[in-house]
Amino acid sequence: MTSHARQIPLALRWPPRQRFAQFRVGPGNAAALAAARALADSQRAPWTLLSGPAGSGKTHLLMAACQDAQVRGHRARYASVARIAASPTALRALDGADLLALDDLDALAGSDVAEHALFDLYNRMRAEGAALLLAARAPLPVLPLALPDLRSRLGACVQVPIAPLDEAARRALVRDWAMERGLALEPAVLDWLFARAARDLSSLHTLFERIDHTALARQRGITIPLLRELLAGSDHSA
Amino acid sequence: MSDLWQRCLARLEGELGNDMHTWLSPLQAREETAGLRLFAPNAYTVDTVREQYLEHIRTVLEHLAGKPVAVVLEVGSARPAQATVAATAALDAPPAHGAARMPTTAEDDPFESNLDPAYTFETFVEGKPNQLGKAAAMQVAQAPGTAYNPLLLYGGTGLGKTHLMHAAGNLIAATRPGARVLYLRSEQFVGAMIEALRSKSMDAFKRRFREVDALLIDDIQFFAGKNTTQEEFFHTFNTLFEGKQQIILTCDRYPREVENLEARLKSRLGWGLSVAIEPPDFETRAAILLAKAQRKGMALPEDVALLLARRIRSNVRDLEGALNTLAARANFFGKPITLAFAEETLRDLLSVHQLAVTVPNIQKTVADYFQVRLSDLLSKRRVRSLARPRQLAMALSKELTEHSLPEIGEAFGGRDHTTVLHACRTIRALCEKDARMHQDWDKLIRILTG
Repeated sequence: MTSHARQIPLALRWPPRQRFAQFRVGPGNAAALAAARALADSQRAPWTLLSGPAGSGKTHLLMAACQDAQVRGHRARYASVARIAASPTALRALDGADLLALDDLDALAGSDVAEHALFDLYNRMRAEGAALLLAARAPLPVLPLALPDLRSRLGACVQVPIAPLDEAARRALVRDWAMERGLALEPAVLDWLFARAARDLSSLHTLFERIDHTALARQRGITIPLLRELLAGSDHSA
Repeated sequence: MSDLWQRCLARLEGELGNDMHTWLSPLQAREETAGLRLFAPNAYTVDTVREQYLEHIRTVLEHLAGKPVAVVLEVGSARPAQATVAATAALDAPPAHGAARMPTTAEDDPFESNLDPAYTFETFVEGKPNQLGKAAAMQVAQAPGTAYNPLLLYGGTGLGKTHLMHAAGNLIAATRPGARVLYLRSEQFVGAMIEALRSKSMDAFKRRFREVDALLIDDIQFFAGKNTTQEEFFHTFNTLFEGKQQIILTCDRYPREVENLEARLKSRLGWGLSVAIEPPDFETRAAILLAKAQRKGMALPEDVALLLARRIRSNVRDLEGALNTLAARANFFGKPITLAFAEETLRDLLSVHQLAVTVPNIQKTVADYFQVRLSDLLSKRRVRSLARPRQLAMALSKELTEHSLPEIGEAFGGRDHTTVLHACRTIRALCEKDARMHQDWDKLIRILTG
């Protein structure tokens, strides 16, 4: 169908790495993935609040849900509250989506104006029959919200904790990235990397891209001396 | 979708990162001979894009096209007809969409029903704490404008005020075909007034609210400090009241306690009937859970309902959230909802709910509440001004934590477990015959579990 074919380039705009297909499932995030998929699939799925530490895959799921919803012909929108909490009226701009994915809710907690703006947005989305997928680092009961009306509304959402992958799963993931690029990673190299690299996947991926790029540019394999040089270099630049 | 625009977005993506998905992805583009026309879903998006990104967009477009490209930015949709069909076909629940949307300008039909049909008296779970509110709302719905005017329902958030308000509205609409029932949240009233002032259409605004048979406004505490809105609402109120048109309002506390609300408005709010909606008691919470589960077609065993009702005391929304969470996880793991499954899956949810309620927390909260020093509360002094709060704190510790009597005694400066038992009995007896004690007890529970 032509209308369907036209939808695809639209959906391609979403970050290709942050799709459902790219999400690495583990015991700590499977329920979160299921909830995000359900909302991307149907606006009647229950509204969901994902809570978990940085690097646990919240943004990935929000982006993936938007992409997936858009492929299905829904209007989807992603917004990080951290980027708009400074001008809460911006929350008014988020109307008109079938699925709204709101990230970094922690950023507005404690700001009376911003909380009120989200409360208002929540009510409008309810009235419009739209779907809402939320994410915050802190679980709701310890999220320092000042407006009880907002807290109670968020309380009606499905609360889904999301935990980062454990180290074994993250190692397997890095090995897969390497395989995709036809690289071999020695266990010793992985040990060295995991002893030093950040725990969260997005910085791990950024680092991996740099390693891959450097290895390619220098026409050599990934070795500990190369990593040492690279990480030392990044210390200087930082 | 325009190819030029796609290439522009691809270029911008690297520079703007996630902001692009907030502001630029929702835009639709149409290439015209004169240039590029961008459609945004609303005026706020237009403003933001114009202020923060338009210049950048023009630069990128010029670079891509090799010549300047005129860009027009407006509210709308590139292919309205087709977009609607595609969206509707893809949705599971097409009728809800747009139907419940609040008209934002006076030109829209203001009497498109914006009541939520799911909120009726039949779906309202009645219990002791909300009995009076339900009865009053029903009476008002059966005799609008004459029974009680205004009807004001007040109480904490998530206790069912909005439900009762919609139920009354729905009943009025059902029994009186053609009746004009208008429901708004207070923010919508404020927003509509600001819009009317901006577009100099105050007359239409006044008409819209004064020609109704029933005006329902939710959460009027948010009128506080908004003097122009209060002034306008005051006049609307008077017109409706004189015309025997029904007014139903909700507020999160007794209106006289709302700061920055005009005295003359407060006094009028008291002309009709004000009813408190209290937090649901244990039995009502359990009944609400079972009713909600039944409506969702969810098999909820009674022992699980009782577990949730015992642990989650704050409000109905938290009960609903717990129920949804349980259903989602049961569905996901493909397991039946048993007591063990509920304990296990809701451990995160419940443990954080109970996180705040520890014995030291109770002691501090009670000391603050009665304005006594914590050290005095925990001391051996037996003056009455300390003994009562101390007994109350002990009874609350028994009620809200899983600690044993000896443990609680220990936490209160090494008292015997019989002292704690005596405190629990004394407080229970006092709550039954002393309204004030009962109120203190309820308030403290709400503070500690809210």
